[in-house]
Order: sequence, then C-alpha cells, then structure tokens
Amino acid sequence: MKNKRFVMVSIVVFALVLLAACGPAPTAAPASTAIPPVIATVAPTVAPTVAPTVAPTKIPTCLIVGALYGGPMNDAGYNQAMHESMVAMAKNIPCVKLIEAENVPDEAGAKTTMVNMIQQGAKLIFATASNHQNPAVELAGTNPDVTFEIAGGWLMGANYANYYADVPDSWFAMGVAAGSMTKSNKLGFVGAFPMGWTSTFINSFELGAKSVNPKAQTFVTYTFAWGDHAKEADATNSLINQGVDVITMHVDSPSAVLSTAESRGVYSIGFQDLAAQQFAPKGWITGTGFTLGGTVTFLTQSVIDKTWKPIFLRCKMSDGCMALAPFGPAVPQAVQDKVKQTLADLDSGKIVVFQGPLTDQNGKVKVAAGATLSENDMGSLDWFVPGVVGQAK
Amino acid sequence: MSLLAVLGVISSAIYSGTSLLYTTLGEVIDERAGIVNLGLEGVLLVSASLGFAVTKTTGSPYLGILAAVLAGGLMNMVFGYLVITRQANQLASGLAVMFFGYGLSALIGKSFVGAKINPLPRYVLPGLSRLPLVFSSLFKFDFLIFLVVPMAVLIWWLLYRTRWGLGLRAVGENADTAFASGRNPKRIRYQALLVGGLLAGLGAAHLTIAYTMAWSEYMTAGRGFIAVALVIFSNWDPLRAIAGALIFSAAVAFQLLLQSSGAQVSPFLLNTIPYLLTILVLIVWGGNRKQSAPASLGRIYLGSE
Repeated sequence: MKNKRFVMVSIVVFALVLLAACGPAPTAAPASTAIPPVIATVAPTVAPTVAPTVAPTKIPTCLIVGALYGGPMNDAGYNQAMHESMVAMAKNIPCVKLIEAENVPDEAGAKTTMVNMIQQGAKLIFATASNHQNPAVELAGTNPDVTFEIAGGWLMGANYANYYADVPDSWFAMGVAAGSMTKSNKLGFVGAFPMGWTSTFINSFELGAKSVNPKAQTFVTYTFAWGDHAKEADATNSLINQGVDVITMHVDSPSAVLSTAESRGVYSIGFQDLAAQQFAPKGWITGTGFTLGGTVTFLTQSVIDKTWKPIFLRCKMSDGCMALAPFGPAVPQAVQDKVKQTLADLDSGKIVVFQGPLTDQNGKVKVAAGATLSENDMGSLDWFVPGVVGQAK
Repeated sequence: MSLLAVLGVISSAIYSGTSLLYTTLGEVIDERAGIVNLGLEGVLLVSASLGFAVTKTTGSPYLGILAAVLAGGLMNMVFGYLVITRQANQLASGLAVMFFGYGLSALIGKSFVGAKINPLPRYVLPGLSRLPLVFSSLFKFDFLIFLVVPMAVLIWWLLYRTRWGLGLRAVGENADTAFASGRNPKRIRYQALLVGGLLAGLGAAHLTIAYTMAWSEYMTAGRGFIAVALVIFSNWDPLRAIAGALIFSAAVAFQLLLQSSGAQVSPFLLNTIPYLLTILVLIVWGGNRKQSAPASLGRIYLGSE
C-alpha cells in the first residue's frame, strides 16, 4: 500500500512539472528600447482615398502581408492590439492581402508559420511576439526578397528591422494618473513574472506617481503565469486588502484583474489594449493601448513603394503609436489635464523618466547623476526605486 | 498586517478553494471506486470553456453552469469508456484525456477569450451589508460557495451511509468480492465517474463563471493535479477535503500577501510555499497514519468469472 501512495505522489509531481514546462510562453510586451530621436514621423503616406466601402470592387493584390501573434487575437490585451493595427493597415491600403496566424508562442512554430506565409507569396511579414525575432532573422537570411518587421525587436539587417511604441514613458503618465487619484496613497501592480521589462514599467509607474504625490507607494505581487486568472484575482484581492485603491497590471489579458478591482470598488488602470475598460465601467481611471496601425501602414506602404529601409523605429504617443484610453467617469478634469500635460512633456523631452540620480530601495545608486538608464538595462532590470514595496528578484 | 489583510486571506481561501473543493470531491468519488483520473485537468478545462461560452452566448450564468456540469460528466464518460469498457491503463488514459482537454477547450473557448460575461450574482452575508465596501465585498458569496460544504457532507453521507456508497467503496477495495456479493463493478465505476465529472464541472464553472469571470487558454493552471494531490492529502475523505482545499488556497493567498507586504524574500521562493506545504503534509501524514487508500486503486477490473 505504501508503494501505491508513493507512485501516486510521484505521478502527480511529475505531471505538475510537465504542466509547468508546457505552460503558454510569455507574449506580453516584448522589448522596447530607447528612442533614437524622431525617426518615426508616422506620416499617413497613404491619403485616405475615399473609397466607398459599400461596393467592394475587385482590387488587384499589390502585396501579400503575413502577420503572426503569440496569443489569441481577441484577448483584450497585447495580441488584440497587434491584430487591430494590422486590420487598420489593411483598411488603409485596400490592395493588401493580409494573412494572419494567432497562438504562435514558440520559436519553432513561428518559423513554420512564416515559411508557410512565404510559400503563400507573402513579401512582408510582421512578427509580433518576443519569441518571433530569432526565427524571423534566420528566415530573412534565406529569403532576401521578403521583408521582416519585428514588433519590439532590436535586431536589424538588410531586409529586417523592428518597430514599437515607447512603453516606459506611457507608464510614467499612468503613474501620474494613479498618484493623483489615490486616497490611501497605495497603488497596486499585478505582474506575471519578475522580469526586466515588468520591473521597468513598475519603476516608471512609481516615479510618475511620486512626481505628483510624494507619499505614493506601489505594492507589487506576481502570479507566476501569464494567464492564471484565479491567481490574478487572488493577487488583486490581496493588494486591495492591504489598502491599495488603484490597481494596474502587466499580464496577458487584463479582464480578471479589472473585474475583481471593480467588484471591490477600487480604481483601475489598463494596459495594452483600449478595449479593457468594459471590465471596469465605474472604477476605470484610464489606460494605454498600442495603436500601431499608422506605423504598420507606413511600413507596408514603403514596401509597396520600394522605399523600405531598415530603421530602428520607436514612436511616441504623440506619433500615435500608443493611445490614451478614455478617462473613466470618476476622473476630475484637473487630473485629466495633468495626465495629458505629462504626456506632452514626455514627448517634448522635458521629462526624462529614468534620469539619474536614481537609487534602489536600499539607497544604492543605480543610475548616476547626469546619466539615464540604457535600453539594455531596462530589459534586464532587477531593482525597484524607493517607494515600491516588493522584491524584483 | 491589518485585520483587512487577514480577513482577505480567509476570503481568498474560500473563493479559490471552492472550485478546488468541488473538483477534489469529484476525484474522491472516482478514487473510492478504484479509478485514478489524471485527466481531471482536461475535464476542468473543457467544462470551464464550455460553461463560459454558454454563459456568454445565452447571457445566463445558470445555463453556463449547467453546460459546464454536463460537459464534466461527459468528459469523464469518455475516460470511463477507455478505462472501464476498453480496460486501458488508467494513468496513460488520464494523461491522454488531459491533452485532449487542452486542445478541445482551446478550440471551444477560442472566440471567447477576453469576453465579458454576466457573472453569477453574489449575496452579502446577512448583517455585513452595513460595513464599508472593501470589507463587505470580501464576504459577498455566490450560491456555489454556500453549497460547497453541504455538498462535501452530502458526498460523505453518500459514501459512508448509503448502500450505493458501500457498493462503490467495495468496488474500490476489491472488485471481485463486490461482484461476488451481487454488485456490478463496471456499472458502479461508471456511476462514480459520472458523479465525479459532474462535480468537476461544478468546480470549473465556479472558477470561470463566478470567480474570475474570464476565460483564457490553460486557465486552470494545474488545479486538476492539485485536486488529485488534495485527495491523497485528505486521505480519501470528503470532510477532510474541506480542510485540504481551504489550507492550500489560504497558502496561495498568504504568499501573495507576503509578496506585496515587502517581505525580504524572493517572490520566486514565496511562490513555492503552497507546494512545499503540500509536500510537507504528505510526508507527515504519510508515515504515521492508518492507510486508507482504496486497495485496488488504479487496478483494471477485467471482469469476474
């Protein structure tokens, strides 16, 4: 009998390990990097030729475009935002034929998918998850006539480059919103994993909050999964029970966190897709979402016009690459103005988020006076600024 | 740590423990009849996705719960066909059902990721409605939460106080003897799996429709296996399962609380607390307690001459 129990236990342990190993790969915000000044004038090169959409006349295909996503296209999160930018592009340039593939989280699957797209005649491929960069670069070598654009990537070559929005800046503005709205001076952040970009966002959020409310603290809790909704709800509740009255998150889909915050009667701030606020009609403050439709249109048009060049494209909110979600009913006009002013100051360079001197929670200097945080450091950052409650590693 | 934080751990334990307890009760019945259902994770996922899809489509959480419960029963019948009628290995079949459930649930739930549903209504405990919202919302429960402990008692009563339960346990101990005493082991095992599947469906429904109000792929995140572990943890006893599910969920909530209260411990380490606790209990209880695992657990019944 004793043996049987042992066998049972070991099978359960084995299965759990197996399960942990095949969990969905992270698809959230891949690396964005600092901004080379004004490369991105996302000029709407395509004048909206007022084509009556009612009568779809047969337009000859001018370019086949492939787009692949790490998760489902309707997740009200990152993947939906990426998908919507492609749809916007296809609408702007009607002669484009768009091929999309969702739920491609891993490198091997991404490679197969892209090979398939190339066989279908795709001459431009948008790879939108962090795991898509390596296979894209590999295929770029063997397919010199195909152009690859990687969302949030950092590598560039003759026929591949990358594009993204400037995310850490937007978190600073969200911090300003949260710091202005909180009554308890306690803000909550639900993260998936303690990883570099998440920590960068948290720091930016706290610095923004502190810029308007010196007493503001950000409490951090990790769920260790990109889509474990029950744990996200638990984490949200745990933060609220410590007095937090503004909740924000960096997980794949914000719905569980926002619904929970709403049911507890606290404020919330969304991230990644603008569709999120339906989950928190009352407590919604605002949020940011990717609106890369203009950028994707610009890139596609340049491929059609044969003017495409590899550029390290990072664009700001003022370029239209991220948008501020509408403010919720509880947000006073003064706060709305302050958030918009902050965004303008970030765009003009009046505010630099990670401007030294910056220390970590223990007072150790991490960014020297006069220096700023480099893009590499952001991707592998493992410390929190003072005012953040929680451990980054 | 404030009063609110402590109450919060209790509240979270009740909320996330409910789905775990339903699922564990289902597995207790399966295992009492001698069947280890490692496919539980897949059963949960299919139930959760279907329940969520039906809730979204019809607008009624009650229809969603019904669909989830039926889906759970049906999935267990598929498993039952494999291990009872076809006499396949239980562990291998269970893993196959799990992976089947992964795929099927992703397909069912595909267009419902990120959808917003009408959640199951919650009722404030009487007398608490005058407290501030942060407090009262902690103890605002849906009917599935109110029903879970009575359900555990009911299952205990069925197993230990009815002829059906006696027959079921007899099949789990020794199917040949049960057959000799005039029972049909195969039919009883099918019945056990059906009830177990319905309960798992109820657990999945609570997870997706009542608690998180969201669906995404693999959202059960291993809860099916936790339930299998909790059955051992609770020594195959429905009443002990109540404690097991609550303790485990409280440990999860407690480590989340520790993370955000600035404990100088790595979140990676804190995240392992619930699992370390499970292992610890298994070690402590394993050595010095009377064994109560059903004797022919996992054994195929080949029929009696």
